[in-house]
Amino acid sequence: MKRAILLFVALAATLRAAEPVDVLVQGAEKLEVRELIAGLGADVQKVTIGPFSFWLGHVGPHRIAVSLTGQALINCTTATIVGIEEFHPGLIVNQGTSGAQAPYLTLNDIIVGRRALDYDNFVTPVAAPGKGSSPFSWTPVAQRLRDPSSGQLVPHPDGFAGDPGALAVAMRTRNPMGRVFAGVIGSAHEVNLELDRVRWSQRTFGMDVEEMESGHVAAVAHAYRIRYIAFRVVSDAPYEGVPFNPNAARTTALFTLNFLENLPPLASPPLPRPVP
Amino acid sequence: MKRTFLQLLVLAAAAVIPLRAEPVDLLIVATDDAALQPIIEKMAQPQVETRGAWTFWSGTLSGKSVVLTRSEGDPLNAVAATALAVRLHPPRLIVSFGTARAHDLALRAGDVVVSASFAAFDGMYSPHLGLDEGSRPAQWEKLPHLLMTAGEKETAAESFPADSSALTLALALAPVHGRVVRGVLGSANQVNREADRIEWLRAKWHTSTEDGESAHVAGCAALLGVPVIGFRIVDGPVADGATFTLSFVEAWR
Repeated sequence: MKRAILLFVALAATLRAAEPVDVLVQGAEKLEVRELIAGLGADVQKVTIGPFSFWLGHVGPHRIAVSLTGQALINCTTATIVGIEEFHPGLIVNQGTSGAQAPYLTLNDIIVGRRALDYDNFVTPVAAPGKGSSPFSWTPVAQRLRDPSSGQLVPHPDGFAGDPGALAVAMRTRNPMGRVFAGVIGSAHEVNLELDRVRWSQRTFGMDVEEMESGHVAAVAHAYRIRYIAFRVVSDAPYEGVPFNPNAARTTALFTLNFLENLPPLASPPLPRPVP
Repeated sequence: MKRTFLQLLVLAAAAVIPLRAEPVDLLIVATDDAALQPIIEKMAQPQVETRGAWTFWSGTLSGKSVVLTRSEGDPLNAVAATALAVRLHPPRLIVSFGTARAHDLALRAGDVVVSASFAAFDGMYSPHLGLDEGSRPAQWEKLPHLLMTAGEKETAAESFPADSSALTLALALAPVHGRVVRGVLGSANQVNREADRIEWLRAKWHTSTEDGESAHVAGCAALLGVPVIGFRIVDGPVADGATFTLSFVEAWR
């Protein structure tokens, strides 16, 4: 209970007028934010809110908050809400590692998210005891968000589009360790190494890589009408039998620093968000 | 010379921030409009605020200050609404309620399952299979959530705890229909209707019921250090959840 009260007070204390940042840059693991924190310069300020840490500094012309979100939906959604409410970013960049879902990808390639979606929502058919389970017969269910202007719940079967301006800058940014492609990023609390199911996900959702956060953060960014882009480095490639390589996290962090250096100041009016 | 990560951590200054939030007694997380409406009707002149895609109704119930929000029946909306509500109006207790489908075959329609604990059963890991070797879901392994905890450490959680005093209180309440029983409330954005998969989920996660959000609300509550309790009506009726929740609010101190 003592811990609960301490965390409660810590979170409640976040209702303050923080200086806004230009870009909220997220990573789920320490290895995914280490290079980013090192790139913030000498005047780094660390802010801890509940269980979440943020490092404030600058990259190029931008004021940056680097956020260590933790893995998967519960962590990343909560961290994103806290990050938005605290730092009011103009752009959110979610970056980190991923598993290849398409055979053309290999270790250290980077996918820039044309769109990101949540792909583990489904309805199964009815099957009696002893009839087994058939994942290829499950019907996907789109993530829904309520549109405050109409009051209606709106399904987003294709997920959420990456910000076109940020996408364009990213596609002109150098990956020091591999190639760069625009693609589709799928999120779920899953690690899929059955190649038939990997192929099914690729064909059903158009996914190039799978990971655990981008689609969820994209939904929250969409709800707030905040510009959003995701970068995912291939850290494992089941078609090639390449096991998870955590050091690939360094690749996407270095790419993200290059992206931030290339990104023009956000002071100009943001580009309109396309309707997914 | 490039600074090391450790040097930067030492240089970083910890921020001291003043308290300005507006605490409340209870945050009630209801699944949808049908579940919400009976609660709103009992609140004295609720104030309504919308942030992003999420709406909050603030008022009083049985003399307690209450914030009510809507989970939309899925994990993302549930976690976002809960996190935002805790930030705007930190509660002493979170109550999540709605309907659920039974995983435990001993449950009957109309039973109220009160959370002894919660399991977010959407995590899975599949062993490697080659092309044209199909999918073998019975061989999948569960993948527990890793909650971020103090010191930037993630801690694996196969289940999330419910508040023990709220559990005791809820179990003593009269049911609307059926029985009041304790159990493990499971959630994922899934509707599982394959009997063998339901048996597999129950064996792996010990779930009594499944719904779209209860364990994810509890995971967010655990992350933010707020006590939580959950009520689920097996196979409806929806109104029973609101009735049972109002009884709980009346009795809770």
